[in-house]
Amino acid sequence: MEDPYKVLGVGEDATDEEVKKAYRELARKYHPDNYQNNPLADLAEEKMKAVNAAYEEITRRRSGGVRQESGYGASGASGGGAYGSSYDPVLRQVRVAIQSGDLARAEALLSQYGERNAEWHFLWGSLCVRRGWMDEALQSYEKAVAMDPSNAEYRQALDYMRRGTRTAYHPSGGTFGTYGGCCDDWCLPLCCAWSVCGGNPFCICC
Amino acid sequence: MFGYVRPPLDRMAGEDAARFRRVYCGLCHALGHRYGPAARWILNYDFTFLAILLLDGEGEPRRRRCAVHPVHGREILDGEPSLDLAADESVILTYYQLRDGAEDSGPLRGLPYRMGSGAFSLAYHQAAARRPRFDRAVRERLGALRELEESRCASLDLPADAFASLLREAAPEEGDPVRRRVLGELLYHLGRWIYLIDAADDLKRDAAEGAYNPAALRYGLLDGAWTPEAKEAFAATLDHSVHRTAAAFELWDFGVWDPLLRETLYYGLFRVGRAVLDGTFHQAKKRKSI
Repeated sequence: MEDPYKVLGVGEDATDEEVKKAYRELARKYHPDNYQNNPLADLAEEKMKAVNAAYEEITRRRSGGVRQESGYGASGASGGGAYGSSYDPVLRQVRVAIQSGDLARAEALLSQYGERNAEWHFLWGSLCVRRGWMDEALQSYEKAVAMDPSNAEYRQALDYMRRGTRTAYHPSGGTFGTYGGCCDDWCLPLCCAWSVCGGNPFCICC
Repeated sequence: MFGYVRPPLDRMAGEDAARFRRVYCGLCHALGHRYGPAARWILNYDFTFLAILLLDGEGEPRRRRCAVHPVHGREILDGEPSLDLAADESVILTYYQLRDGAEDSGPLRGLPYRMGSGAFSLAYHQAAARRPRFDRAVRERLGALRELEESRCASLDLPADAFASLLREAAPEEGDPVRRRVLGELLYHLGRWIYLIDAADDLKRDAAEGAYNPAALRYGLLDGAWTPEAKEAFAATLDHSVHRTAAAFELWDFGVWDPLLRETLYYGLFRVGRAVLDGTFHQAKKRKSI
């Protein structure tokens, strides 16, 4: 195992508080929420595992060998990906292709699919998110919800897109975005308290 | 198309700003050394940023004299293979930009007159022979982009994808597979952001000239002015690209270059984006406050 202090980027003489702070910063950075529908999510997951293991190891050593449970895992929040199921066998294959990153196959299947129903638009939107075609993804999710407003999966995906990047990781703990509201450094703590942490149970920056 | 990825040197620690200048001068030297003095004119911040992304390690600074600093010289990065790669790719990208008529716009305005397009064509042929894969990729992607523009495609994502895919090809062909994946993803989304911010910057001029502009078509801004709703939606899609760029950046250890890259991605891009959307970008550039 790699030196746990090196993984967290602190010295062995760091206080418990410093270790915890370094751990929280890294956990915020590599949290699955920050890599939803991202083709590099597997790399982030590896980083997250290493960070969790390092923190656990340091905690164990400092508590005299007692194993402590720690760690942030998946939040359980769905980010608009195609993780549900389909009745239609072709659309089921599209879901599998998107999840496995085979985007060319997903696109080919969707292009050949005759009916442009709500699920088709939802899956096209999921494909676009994965590619980073965010504008088209938003429009596709809007169509899916308009055609089937009662579908929770489609609504959740649209909410995710509309929420934007406000809760994305930012090293200063500030709000992420062109108009993030944190243009000046003096307002960072205030903005953080209001907009980053509000409603986000994971956020631990304040 | 270039000139938007601007490291906020005013906010950086002295050592990080000095590192950036060493790469800037190193890339200038590599361009001059490989393609003759005229090629130095194509140097800009974006290409320097690309060179930093491609660097593998801190490199060995050396003091060199040049026409701009003839007496005391400057500390520069020299002899780095990634600077040669960045120089070759910069020449190829600039050549196609010039060929496609980009000389009428932005920072490349008038460039062929300053340096002589004939001389640059020779530089391009040398660069294309050194990097045939990149040359082919740029030619194909710009061809696809031109077709989309000619058909007045009203999607933001399709033309942005063509340009982003082109920039993704600037990632090295060899080396650590994780690094290549990270750089490919980072460059793709940075390319998407560059294409979109360039479209936003050209909105007014394209409206006046009746030229193609994906943002104008997407949001129906045919008079060249943003509506508050369109600006908000456009900023959101820009932010998604910055998020993907930054998320990729966090998955590789860029060593001493980390603070410089971090400050550019998490602060510099937003600052430029805000200035472009608010119409203050060019004044800020003149005042050197951006």
